[in-house]
Order: sequence, then structure tokens, then C-alpha cells
Amino acid sequence: MSRLDRTRTSPHQLRPFFSSQNLLNRADGSAQFDFGGSSVICSVVGPAEVKIRDEKLDRATIEIVARPLVGLPGVKDKTLERNIRETLEPLILSGLHPRTGIQIVVQTMKEDGCILSTAFNAAILALLDAGIPLKSILASVTCIIDSRTNQILLDPTIEETTHAKSTHVFVFDNKVSISSINPEDVAMDEDSKEPSHTGILFSDSTGLFTEDEFFECANACFKAAQAVHGFIRTAVSKKLEKEYQQTRA
Amino acid sequence: MASIKTEQPPGSLLPQGPSIVLPGDLLPAPGTRLVTDDDDAFITTSTTAPVIKLGPGLLVDDDSIGAIKAGILKHTPTGNRWWVESNQRRYVAAQGESVVGVVISKSAEHYKMDIGAAQHALLGVLSFEGASKRFKPDIKIGSLVYCRVSLANKDMEAELECFNPTTMKSDGYGELKNGFAIKTSLGLARRLLDPKTLILRLLGQHTPFETVIGMNGKIWVDSESPKKIILICNAIKNSEFLSDTECKTMVKTVIEKL
Repeated sequence: MSRLDRTRTSPHQLRPFFSSQNLLNRADGSAQFDFGGSSVICSVVGPAEVKIRDEKLDRATIEIVARPLVGLPGVKDKTLERNIRETLEPLILSGLHPRTGIQIVVQTMKEDGCILSTAFNAAILALLDAGIPLKSILASVTCIIDSRTNQILLDPTIEETTHAKSTHVFVFDNKVSISSINPEDVAMDEDSKEPSHTGILFSDSTGLFTEDEFFECANACFKAAQAVHGFIRTAVSKKLEKEYQQTRA
Repeated sequence: MASIKTEQPPGSLLPQGPSIVLPGDLLPAPGTRLVTDDDDAFITTSTTAPVIKLGPGLLVDDDSIGAIKAGILKHTPTGNRWWVESNQRRYVAAQGESVVGVVISKSAEHYKMDIGAAQHALLGVLSFEGASKRFKPDIKIGSLVYCRVSLANKDMEAELECFNPTTMKSDGYGELKNGFAIKTSLGLARRLLDPKTLILRLLGQHTPFETVIGMNGKIWVDSESPKKIILICNAIKNSEFLSDTECKTMVKTVIEKL
């Protein structure tokens, strides 16, 4: 079964990841994340001063600004902003920096499907780079159900999305990936139909689908998200190794 | 450092490979062997709950200890201290740290200082060695001042002082005249304060200079000529992601250009 996206052969294959941290020198933290032809760059400023109007006495104010590829931000970008803010707010330990502001700017650089997932992954890498205290990290993967073959396609391109019956975006935290190091737990998850979704942070589905299909999508995305988690860990380790090569000697 | 008494649940896991942790990773359970630079990094296995001291980057959540920042997990056997060595660019004031600040405005009682943190910090006009109501230093707006954080609280503006509270002497704190200041990451500033770091010694072999390193990432440099100051500043900034040998060649090439 070949996909519309000619570079991939399996429906569960993701496009190659790419990331780069600390690429903007005026921001406190920044990162770029690519899923193949989709690319998002994200900058973080904070904990910084905040307007009195937005100041919260017991925690940091988190502001997300989403910028589209072309033109002015519209309704789509406002939805993106809201989705990212509502997922990140419980993750950021904002109580440690009261009366400050954390501004996260998400700029789409290249668009080829899965922008929300790419933005989530770019945002978490930028937050790690900025050293904002976090409860855990996240990894996001999108999938669609193809209307012609009824197959789950992970990480779809724009072209593939046009044939989608339904689209699902999932975000998982890394607590699950840690507890599933025990191989017995993983095997158990595969056998039982309902996966252990304790680490699910965000899920957004559009289109028509059955309950079974939804859980199947969640399972497929969960497995793929582990690859993204692994990638994030390698990316951060590489950066840290470079930074601390002098102190180790 | 918060001192806590805790019992680790047996299920907590240790990070794979070198001790790099990401937010959400749990501190290993007592008795597990860690892959760290020092070989004796054991978590004490005693029947009683071990007393551990947590530094920056670690937080107690329910009954487990987890990392909240990406960095290298560090440990000292004396006092069983654990912390995460991480790098960032935004300064968060901490008591006792020496910082370089810029005077933003002054009032009858305080100078308002920019130390690169979320809020401005306050430096009392009398917080100088030998200052009294009649004799107090007059610092202009825009001047650089090397000072010590005397009070830091997440809910309040930080307070600064320009003397050592035990000896009441200036201890090198005070206004920085002449020279030039650059902003670097906090990790680089911390590393420059470590005598093992080569870059300052390498530069010192070629040209004499004075430097003040603030824990807030502001570094002040003064030398004979502006040309040399710029060269030293650039060399310090460039050294951040270089190894020791790369530093040596880098310093050699910039000195040749002088």
C-alpha cells in the first residue's frame, strides 16, 4: 500500500523529524520543529515583565501568539493559540514565577499538514530551551482516517488530508513513556482494546468516526508519539553535550 | 535549598545513559547506581528514609522527586545534594548571588536596577561601604553596578546591596567605571566563574584585562583599548559552545588579528 506522499510506504510511518534549538539570539528560548514539509519556529520570552492589566498575583500569565504562513492572523490562528495555551498552562509550573509573563510566539514557516502537532512540538522544545519550569514534556502526532480505504494514516500531508474522513490530533506527556519501560506493561496495553490514556493531554477530532476508530487512532498516535519523545530527548541531549563539553574535561 | 525527608517509591526510574534529565523524569529510587561523572554517586541504601537536599531544577510532587528543567543531573555525596545543571538566558534572582545591573532610575531612597530578571531590583542608596545620610555615592542613570542580591523572593522585587554584610566592606562591589558590558547565557557566566574554565586564562596570557562576571549573565570587561575590549568580549561569547582545544585555536586566531 503506497501513500499519496510518495516518500513513505507504510500508513504508520512518520515523516523525518528535524529540530534546532536556541536559534534566535534575542529571545530567552527558541526552537524549530519540522515534520517533513511542515515547519514551525517558536520563541519564548519569559519570565518577563507583564502589563498590569494581565498580571496574575499567584502565577505567570501565559500568552501565545500564533502567526500564519502568509497574511494576518485569523480565526484558525486564534484556535491554534487557544489549543496550545490550554494544553501548556497546566504543564508550566507558573506558580514559581508569580506576577510575570511568559510569551510564546508560534510562527509557521512551511505548511504541509499537521501544523498543530508541529507547533506543539516546537513550543515544548522552545520552553525547554528557555528553562521554563515544566511538570512534564509533551509530544504530539496527527492522524487521519482515509475515506477511500478506511485506513489510519499517521502524519498526513495536505494532499492526504483532502481525502480524510476524520482528522485526529493527540498530545501525550512523557510520564507514560517512562512507566512503559517495563515491557509487560506495553504488551498488556496492546492486548487490551482500551489503551492506558493516563498521559493524554489534548485530543482534537473532526469528522465522522466510530468509537473503535477513535481508540485505534489514539493507540497508533501514542506509539508514534514515543518516537517523537525519543527524538526530543536526543535533541536536548545533543545540545547539552555541546554546552558542557568544557566542564566535563 | 529545601531540605526534605522522603521515601522514594520503588517504581521510580533512572534516566537512561548519561544523567541527562528532562522535565517529568523522576529521581531514581534509593540503592540504584547512577551513571554520573563521579563514581560514588549512589543513592544511600539505608533502612531509614534518606535525607536529601534538593537544589535548582528539582521539585517534590506528591511522594516522588522529579526534574522540572532539562539539564544534567548532578549529585554530591556530602550532604546528599541533588540538583539539575541547566542553562537559560533569563535571570531569576537568588539570594547571595553577585550580579551586574544597570541603573534605570533613582529616588530618594533607592536606585531602580535592571538585572535582567522579570522585575526591576532595588538598591538602597545607603547600601554602600561607609555610606551615611551625608556621604553617599552618586551613581548616574545608565551606570553599571556590581552588587549582591541581599533579598530574593518570587513574590517581591529583589533587593541588592554593595557591601558584604558580615564585614561591612565593599568586597569589590560598587560602580563599574569605564569598560564594556555584554550579555551572555547564565550557563556561560556560571562556567566562567569556575577556575577550571580556560578561556579567561588563555586571554590573560596575551593581554591584561579586568572582568566582572555577574550571575545574571552580564559580563563587564575593561582593558587598555576599546579594540582589546571588543576582542575579549567576542572571544568570551564565542567560547560558549567550543571545547578546550577549540578555545585555544580561537584565541590564537583572534590575538593574531590584533
